Amino acid sequence: MGSVETECFLKLQVRSHLRTLSCSQERMELLHALRSLAGLLEDAEFTRTYYARALQVLVAKDWSKRLLHDHDKELERLWREMFLRGPAEPVLMTLLDAISSARCEVDRSSADSAQYREALIGQISALPSITSNQLRANTPEDLLPHRFYTLLAESILETLERTCQALRAGHDCSLSFISQLLGKVCIQGNGSYENPHNSINEGSNCPSGIFGTMAPRLSSLTRVDPLMQRVTQNLLEKVPERCMESVITGLVLSLKGPTAVSRLMGDLVLNNKKAQFVLTHKMLLQQYQHPSLLLKSVLGYLSLDSERRVLLKQVLRSVCQVWCNSSAVKHTCVEQQLYVTRALLLTVALLQNSEVQELRQELVQCMLGGVQCRLDSNIERIRRMGMVVGECLSQKLDTPGSQLQFQYESNEEIQELRSLMEYQAVEGEEPESDASNNLQPIVEASEVCAVPSQSITSLPVNDSDSELDSDDDLTPFDMSADQEKRISAPPRYVRDCLEGLMSEDAERFELSLQVAASLLRKNVTTTQEVSVQFCRVLLHLEDRYNTTLFLSLRQNAMVALTVTHVKPVVDYWTTEFFSLNYSLRQRLDILEVLALSAQELSEPIRSKQAAAQPIPEVVPPEQFDDITHWRHIVEKRIQSKTRRIGKGVTQPVKAAPNRFAPVAGCFFFPLLKNYDRPQTTFDLLGSDHLVLGRLLHTLGLLMHLAVNAPVASQMGRALLDFIWAVRFHTDQMVRRGVLFAVCSVFLGMHSENLLTDLGEDLMEARAWLADVAESDCDSDCRSLAMQSLVLLDRTLKAQLKIPEMKT
Amino acid sequence: MSRPPPDPLYILRGSGAPVNTLHFYCGGDGPPLLYSGSGKGAVHVWNLNTRRAEQVLESHNSNSVIWLDTFDGSRSSLISQGRDMRLCLWDLSEGRSAVTDSLLTGAVGFCQCSLLESQPGSSLLAHPTQDMEEVSVVEMKSWTQVCSLRPDTKLGMLMSMKMWQADSGPVLCAGYEDGSIVLWDVSQRHPLSFLKPLPEPVMCLDVHVCSQKGISGSSEKILQSWTVDGQRTLQMHHSVQMTNPGVSQMRIRADGKILATAGWDNNIRVFGWKKLKPLAVLQHHTDAVNSVAFSDHQDPTQRLLAAGSKDQRISVWSIYNVVHRTNIDTREPLAVVEDLLSSSQPEGMGRAAVKGSLAMGI
Repeated sequence: MGSVETECFLKLQVRSHLRTLSCSQERMELLHALRSLAGLLEDAEFTRTYYARALQVLVAKDWSKRLLHDHDKELERLWREMFLRGPAEPVLMTLLDAISSARCEVDRSSADSAQYREALIGQISALPSITSNQLRANTPEDLLPHRFYTLLAESILETLERTCQALRAGHDCSLSFISQLLGKVCIQGNGSYENPHNSINEGSNCPSGIFGTMAPRLSSLTRVDPLMQRVTQNLLEKVPERCMESVITGLVLSLKGPTAVSRLMGDLVLNNKKAQFVLTHKMLLQQYQHPSLLLKSVLGYLSLDSERRVLLKQVLRSVCQVWCNSSAVKHTCVEQQLYVTRALLLTVALLQNSEVQELRQELVQCMLGGVQCRLDSNIERIRRMGMVVGECLSQKLDTPGSQLQFQYESNEEIQELRSLMEYQAVEGEEPESDASNNLQPIVEASEVCAVPSQSITSLPVNDSDSELDSDDDLTPFDMSADQEKRISAPPRYVRDCLEGLMSEDAERFELSLQVAASLLRKNVTTTQEVSVQFCRVLLHLEDRYNTTLFLSLRQNAMVALTVTHVKPVVDYWTTEFFSLNYSLRQRLDILEVLALSAQELSEPIRSKQAAAQPIPEVVPPEQFDDITHWRHIVEKRIQSKTRRIGKGVTQPVKAAPNRFAPVAGCFFFPLLKNYDRPQTTFDLLGSDHLVLGRLLHTLGLLMHLAVNAPVASQMGRALLDFIWAVRFHTDQMVRRGVLFAVCSVFLGMHSENLLTDLGEDLMEARAWLADVAESDCDSDCRSLAMQSLVLLDRTLKAQLKIPEMKT
Repeated sequence: MSRPPPDPLYILRGSGAPVNTLHFYCGGDGPPLLYSGSGKGAVHVWNLNTRRAEQVLESHNSNSVIWLDTFDGSRSSLISQGRDMRLCLWDLSEGRSAVTDSLLTGAVGFCQCSLLESQPGSSLLAHPTQDMEEVSVVEMKSWTQVCSLRPDTKLGMLMSMKMWQADSGPVLCAGYEDGSIVLWDVSQRHPLSFLKPLPEPVMCLDVHVCSQKGISGSSEKILQSWTVDGQRTLQMHHSVQMTNPGVSQMRIRADGKILATAGWDNNIRVFGWKKLKPLAVLQHHTDAVNSVAFSDHQDPTQRLLAAGSKDQRISVWSIYNVVHRTNIDTREPLAVVEDLLSSSQPEGMGRAAVKGSLAMGI
């Protein structure tokens, strides 16, 4: 019963002291109370039960005043002692509580409870935020996040090293506190982030944050110390499930190479369900912001152990499934597709031959399906991705005689994807940098370089008969007129040109095509007689003789025809666009020609004089001597040194009639007529979405070019109606076309017409645009939608303000 | 900036048919002459002082004349070769225009003959024969055949040839249909060397004896020159690329400075002979140029270049004539080469011996 008595005594004693401390103003009394409390710090019962309470009294407001104003040395020393000599946790908690002045409702008596721990971890991990909330601009350097988490990382590392020592000494240790702390820090977003300071120092954007310090150290420690490996693996296993993702992401981002990941994580991916999910699914298939180094680390990590290779195969299956999913191709953004493609190629590169044979069926199916649906895409980047993967996979599958080969232009992205196929997990490890090793070959290389250069210079000049046997005394004449001779002359008449285009003679054909555009423009009346016939010939023209610039020459001729004889030719184009038996290329050509002609028509005719360059004065070569020349030079000098105050009146811009405005309707409306009547060979709303996209784009262009034309508002209304039918098309190209057309409607129509003619539709369009701007998977579509929303809002605002001002 | 190419000195019009062949004669008394053979059998004799045709000879039954030359060092002794398979000898002295002799060669091809005056009064003539591959060399006075040269391997039709006098005796260079060139020793009647510079038929060739180099052209863009060395073997030398393919004739000027080619692309091209450096492209004709010739005028500044074209005109040019006089060897090229050959081959057969054997009709 003695203990109870001493307990009661202690209780009374502490109470009286605390009362003195909180109420008394007498210096001696305070000193006495503090001294006796400090004496009690050795008492376990006191520290457990009353210490936190005592600290709370000591951080109360009148104490801080007292210390600040009285400058009492003795009092201050005792006050500090109370904090520094006691156990750390309650001190930290009390101080932080005082700082944030928001008391946590934690049961102080049970210091070991989970709740208390949780609160403690929360406070530690959020220390920079808590302090800087109070101190604002005066936060000390060490408490700024970058510095603080580095310090925290260093103490964690120290703890881990001590743990190792303790384990060697035979003690049992628990890492769960550190694990939880690590998890908390990471989930708050301090695990790993790009740091501008580091990138300057090290030349690469090395991730910072808690792992920026920890990962390299751990990587080098685990290389030499197997016990450290076990400690680290244990540490990661104990991380709470909800923090697992952020810890793993931060760690893998900060580590270089799969072997380091493997040393640190061990078989975490096999033991921990959450880790497995994150590593094999979430990072590969759901996220796409990571650099390909992370993919290499993750997939390399999976490939480094035979048990983990099972997971690698599983990953391959799921990646294949995603990659060959045609709906994924349509509905995910290009960046994500690129990411999945990288993952696929890396996985395939890491597979061994036996595994490839085992997974052959899946791979072949993935290749065929995925490549096909990518080749169908309208976006070139996606098509290229499909082609590269097709080539790489067929190479890996090594089917004799049936390897895929595509023709495409290589670019950086393609190079990168191709290089992934050469990836090996082991080579991902960065070698221990050794300065002396590195220096050696450089010196040798420079020596090697020096030798041949000397030998080159010392080569004897061996050109013996050059002096005697040369034609140098004969100066050649100008031979610029020496051109390749053509057997037939270019046609001089439109009809000859037409015949030439239909002839079998390659040279005649080429010459006719080359002069066609200029002939057509020069001979307007003859052109008008044969225009439609000429159109037909040009439309069906094929590049049989591999003529240089065939496409542009043909297009120029087609545009020339359209511009010289607008109405019948445009009628011809628009009817042919929807008729049977044309290839996609021909239909696209028609659209391009219409757009280009409209553009040419809408531009004012420049006067010949203004356009023509002043012809330089011809100086006969004999007179090209100093006497005539010096005057020229002097004049030039005077001109350059003279400053002219006034340049005279600039010529006013001459008004010219817009040639496009009267015919805009002919261009526009026939193209809207037949879109929903599928032909056997042409289904605009079905498989031929490429043409639909281009059609919408062309319509948008025509709308834009018809700005200020009287017919513009009708065109805009018709175009919006048309768009309404196809606005939710699955193809990005079509959606882009739609949005482009919308933009051009908003730009091309007068704002008052826009409001009166469209009215209700506008509101619906606005809602739709807002939806697209927010949720479309294609970034171009989103930005276009944004653009049109801004345009619409501006016109609406301008329109709605004017009546207010009048009233 | 380089000079613009020169214009022709003058044009000779009035041949009334494509001009197939040209030959200058500037020796002797009287004005320099230019003989031209047309596609309709007419041979025009142009006076280069008046620039008019002095005489028009109707010959070869209106078949085209493909080759002309003067012999016996006289302006009035003319030999012509026509597509009627005949060679005609003309006497033009004192205004006459009579065929004094003729030879039926039986050759139906386009190969031009080659005449070699080994000594005054005795000339050798190489002409194609009925047999397409054969060259027949005859003594001109008597039409006695000196030899008949036939390649052992099949080289195709004889296309062009040139005969000249070497120290060891007359030598003939012949180009064949498959592009090969054979150097024949006429007196020994055996081939000395063989070269195949181009895969296409040898349309024309010329040899500059002084520099021991020759050149051949074909229907392609390349001109290939070759050397004839001391052992009288042919070796490839420089080649030059032209803009347009096809050469119908080429001539090296006697001073060995320049080479002129008659191109199918209507242009006359001038190259430096030593390195085949392209020097000029002379544009005047509106149709293919059939023939080029350099004049043999004693005054080097008067050595003109004439070109005859399918467009019925003959253009006369003065090009690279103003040269340093010291560089020019005004001697006859034949004399120069004989000196060279005799100095290089002292142990060879003496010149007199060769001539003697020739005179004896071997």
